[in-house]
Amino acid sequence: MTTLLIKTHEAWLEMMMAGFMSHTNNRETLLDFSDILFRHFTWLEQEMIRNGETYDYDRDDIPIKVERLETMLKAVIARLLEIDLQLLGLENKALAERIASDISYMTSVLHEMNDEVITAFNMSRKLPGITLTQEATDALTIFLFEESYKEYELIMIYNYLKQHSGDAFLNRIFQILIDESFFHLKRFGDMMAKMGILAVPRTIMKEVYQVEDVVGFLKTGIDEELAAKEECRKLSEAVAQDNAQLAKFFDFINNQENYHIALMKEALAYYAKVAG
Amino acid sequence: MEMDAMVLEHMMNPKNYGSLPTANAEGMGKNPQNGEKVAVYMHVKEDEEKPYIDDIRFQAIACSTTVVAGSMLTEEAKGLTLDGAKNLVNATMQLLEKLPPEDAACSEMVALAIKAAVDTYEKRKDDPEYPSITYQIGGTCTPKEENTNDNTAH
Repeated sequence: MTTLLIKTHEAWLEMMMAGFMSHTNNRETLLDFSDILFRHFTWLEQEMIRNGETYDYDRDDIPIKVERLETMLKAVIARLLEIDLQLLGLENKALAERIASDISYMTSVLHEMNDEVITAFNMSRKLPGITLTQEATDALTIFLFEESYKEYELIMIYNYLKQHSGDAFLNRIFQILIDESFFHLKRFGDMMAKMGILAVPRTIMKEVYQVEDVVGFLKTGIDEELAAKEECRKLSEAVAQDNAQLAKFFDFINNQENYHIALMKEALAYYAKVAG
Repeated sequence: MEMDAMVLEHMMNPKNYGSLPTANAEGMGKNPQNGEKVAVYMHVKEDEEKPYIDDIRFQAIACSTTVVAGSMLTEEAKGLTLDGAKNLVNATMQLLEKLPPEDAACSEMVALAIKAAVDTYEKRKDDPEYPSITYQIGGTCTPKEENTNDNTAH
């Protein structure tokens, strides 16, 4: 089952990257499919927890540097077929059938998708219709690499906490934070693809998500959210003269962090109440 | 960080990133100021006249600059003998001395993680149970080893 979890993790990210690369209607379908694969991932993870199996979020490299979407789709299909084969060994037949059925549909749709020329790796570092100074471009580039990894990291951390918690109050907070990070990751991934610098977030060290001290993690997390707000503010300032719309976007992301901090404080207060 | 195509390539596709299940030595470089750290895992091939690093990986809880430095330095370290790896670390540290500490910190952490892995490997020749060494950056060429009770790489 470990292989099944790893392959599903890889397929989820691979499908999402394919979505970012697309300039057409394919994009929405690919991103929807990646959401489905993430759900498969969480169900398999829960199954492993129920069975008392140890697991982690390690995975192999996912090569995505392609010139045509077709190449990427073939790679995704190959990975999905590998998952399909692995499902034969899954004891939970209802889960196996659900995943197999989704894979069957998704592969049929992927086979029919129109090919596209991919520009997500051309390193142009230009956003369509927006001219930025070199300084602002560099700041945006660094921001996108740092924050796309950070959002992926947060998805995995909060998912891990959620999977190991039976507490409805906390799980509501964890789910909101997962959803928010997905939104940010998708926006940043989209910008990276447009700028020709699309990259798969690197794997996460176990000690980051296998959190033993949740209270300590939340306290540090609040500081990190405050730092992220500051980065958004700086970036908004850096691009404000060149493009008001982009500056507004980073102000919007900055303001979203306020609610994340409020939720994390809520979780901290809850932990304190339970401990007291 | 200057953004040329080579740096961008290392940011987009960091070389040698991840863990290495076959590793026979690990080491860590740590920045005590902000908790950032780099873990280096390496496999030293021992059935040669001169042992050499035949595979190396790294992971980082750190910024993109550290990832770029890790990608570049592990590429350099791959295939080197242990003496070659030590020379690489020394040369890197000497270059970093010319930079302000805040600019040098990321690369220094990677260099020290490689040094820690090499030193761990050598210690394990006498004591196979020797724990992974962690070095903290200090802005000098003389890394400080963490307290023995604390020096296990997690």
